[in-house]
Amino acid sequence: MAIRGTHDASARVKPKESFDFLHDERVRSAFYQLLTAGVVGWLIWYLVTNTAHNLEVRGMNTGFGFLSATAGFDTDFKLLEYEPGVGTYGRIFLIGCINTLLVSFLAIIASTILGFAVGVLRLSSNWLVARLALAYVEIIRNTPLLLQIIFWYVGVFALLPRVKQSLDLSAGAEVAFLNNRGLYTAWPIPGDFFWMSIVAFVIAVIGVFVLKRWAHKRQDDTGQQFPTVTASLALLFILPGMVFLATGSPLDWDVPTLQGFNFAGGAALPPAFLALLIALTIYHAAHLAESVRAGILSVNKGQTEAALALGLRPSRAMTLIIIPQAMRAIVPPMISLWMNVVKNSSLAIAIGYSDVVALFMQTALNQAGYAVEMVGMTMAFYMFISLSISGLLNIYNKRVQLVER
Amino acid sequence: MAIVNGEKTAARSAPLTETSFIGWLHKNLFSSWINAILTVVSIYIIYVAVKGIWVWGVEEAVWVAENRRECFKISKDGACWAGVIQWLENIFYGRYPRPELWRVNLGGLLLVVWMAPLWLPRVKNKIFIGLSTVFLYPFLAGYLFAGGDKGIFMQVVVSGAIICLIGNTLHTIIGVFSGGGLPENLTRLLGKTDASDQNQRNTLLAILAAAFVVVFLLQMGWTVEVVPWTKWGGMFLTLVISGIGITSALPGGIILALGRRSRLPVIRVLSTSFIELFRSVPLITILFMATTMFPLFMPEGFVLNKLVQVTIAVCLFSACYMAETVRAGLQAIPMGQYEAAHTIGLGYWGTMGLVVMPQALKHMIPNIVGSFIGLLKDTTLVSIIGLFDILGMLRSISQDVPWRGLHKEPLLFGALLFFIICFIMSKYSRHLEVKLSAGANR
Repeated sequence: MAIRGTHDASARVKPKESFDFLHDERVRSAFYQLLTAGVVGWLIWYLVTNTAHNLEVRGMNTGFGFLSATAGFDTDFKLLEYEPGVGTYGRIFLIGCINTLLVSFLAIIASTILGFAVGVLRLSSNWLVARLALAYVEIIRNTPLLLQIIFWYVGVFALLPRVKQSLDLSAGAEVAFLNNRGLYTAWPIPGDFFWMSIVAFVIAVIGVFVLKRWAHKRQDDTGQQFPTVTASLALLFILPGMVFLATGSPLDWDVPTLQGFNFAGGAALPPAFLALLIALTIYHAAHLAESVRAGILSVNKGQTEAALALGLRPSRAMTLIIIPQAMRAIVPPMISLWMNVVKNSSLAIAIGYSDVVALFMQTALNQAGYAVEMVGMTMAFYMFISLSISGLLNIYNKRVQLVER
Repeated sequence: MAIVNGEKTAARSAPLTETSFIGWLHKNLFSSWINAILTVVSIYIIYVAVKGIWVWGVEEAVWVAENRRECFKISKDGACWAGVIQWLENIFYGRYPRPELWRVNLGGLLLVVWMAPLWLPRVKNKIFIGLSTVFLYPFLAGYLFAGGDKGIFMQVVVSGAIICLIGNTLHTIIGVFSGGGLPENLTRLLGKTDASDQNQRNTLLAILAAAFVVVFLLQMGWTVEVVPWTKWGGMFLTLVISGIGITSALPGGIILALGRRSRLPVIRVLSTSFIELFRSVPLITILFMATTMFPLFMPEGFVLNKLVQVTIAVCLFSACYMAETVRAGLQAIPMGQYEAAHTIGLGYWGTMGLVVMPQALKHMIPNIVGSFIGLLKDTTLVSIIGLFDILGMLRSISQDVPWRGLHKEPLLFGALLFFIICFIMSKYSRHLEVKLSAGANR
């Protein structure tokens, strides 16, 4: 043993360190990195000095002072208080961001539901239904979104009847109207003690979670199942409902009524909003349907067979075995699709819905200048949203990732 | 005692529910009452949709009319295709001067001739043909479309492209009929088959040089009229922008993807932030940035036209998306390939260029076709910033005095056009995917 030890030591004599400057890996990598940094740095410096010079020559203003300056134009759709000539550009930016988020949020929810439905229909054992779903997916995916948005706007919503001949969507109850100026619906106005109903609802939601944990624990301990779904639904409806009635139904409806040439009261959604929402929903649902289908197909057939062999009913096998595994494949493309919904909502500009691009990057920019700041702020807004959503995705991925050897 | 039936019982035929058309119906459409309801509902939807489209779009439609009012006079509840038909040339070519249309058509035809060999199985050296399509064809087509005075650079590139085109075509014809290539046949023709490699190569280079001189001299006198970019439009412009976008996306995307996977932190961080920056914002904001901020970025007095600004923006955008496609392809290559390449002494560029990239690119082809479809659709956004691409043209029909208010028909026609192009390409990419993975599936 000792002999072998000395032998090893003698064989491991270090070769003479000849430091070849040109071929040393560390020197080379440092050189390449310095070179890249230098080129990029020079490029940035070049663009910045050019921009500064050009701004000076053209006499354009710079800085973010304009955000507190008053804006002189109005917008047809706003969720914040704003008055032209009183409101500021900062407020315009906020209104644009909220409008973008509103339409994206609604489109995300609607397209997720529709996408899952169509994705499941694509795999239906019914030949005709599967073909119909396929036709929907192929037609929608192979035409440009912008064209679809414009089509919904000029081809559908612009052709709706005028205000006087509004369609009554509530079938005679006169609380929701659709015409070529948009959708008018009744809007709830909370009364004095309405907050108590909301508190009751929150308590009910918490109660559902507690109930679910308790039911799980009981099943683990005793094997007995508890009708969680029915109980939860009952809890969710009955508790807030009772509080609502006990406080004297404190909710009024602001119903839109025809006054002169237009409706007054209630909530109004412009046709551009509706067209954008419908187009975004239909377009992204078709894309999601393909991801859902691929996700479900990616689950090994053996899993279905094993579940059935255990004696699970097909519906239970689907909800307990297939869907949870399919979600692992569905969620990443779904979240990047959500990101696309937010980004694609910027196409609103083509039909005049006041999202952040149309309102801030176009109208405000044309009014006030400040090209660099405004384009930068708009891009930063989208970047913030995208990075938040992809952060969400990363957290999810970490949680569900298959732990392999 | 056992009674054994010595005769074989004839096999019963399969039950009717398994074999006949009725069996198929039972299995696929009416297997349960829920499915039966779904089937009936689907048949109803299909009936309503098909009937509606047929009556509006074909039966009651007007195909020939002078203006929209005449359309209404002929049929009130039908489509007015007459407007689309009258604008057909505009939809495809924009306001490109009509006598010069042959240039656009020739450009398209040349692309077909140039790329057709890539699909012929017996042709060799497809990599060269592919590379020449990316690096030479755009210049020739660009000159054809834009016209005007050729500078010395354009003269050289155009001559090179013409020679390449002639060479490719000869090479393909020879390849298809005799299975060889152009270089071998040239040497055989000159009786140099037995000469040394050096000699053969020199002879071929001499022929190439001679051909270059001849073509260069011939093309010097050839000029075509200038067509300013403002006259470009329609489907032609859409294809030009997305074509340039996709061809530049590939090299750009490869570089960015390699940068993102680099071991050198500075390069990695720069590439990653560049890719993420462009991928996290909508294309329309990039286009706006291009039109409002490029003029500020450039030195004073240096003016780029809108088409160039937009094209640069589209190129950057598509390169960043392509980078992610390439990265996915690179990730699919197992570590063993890198290690094997290092073992036989290849450096970074050798490993990437000879071992990793060729395999990764093969995996990526379907996705590249997919990105091209996406880019083709996204290119319609240039109509928002005032270029008259196909969507811009379709929308300006409704602004044309005789056809004022004709919105639906042009948009539907455009949708059909996009659907045909994109559907064929996506089917082709599916086919490629199956074909390319055939070798991997045992």
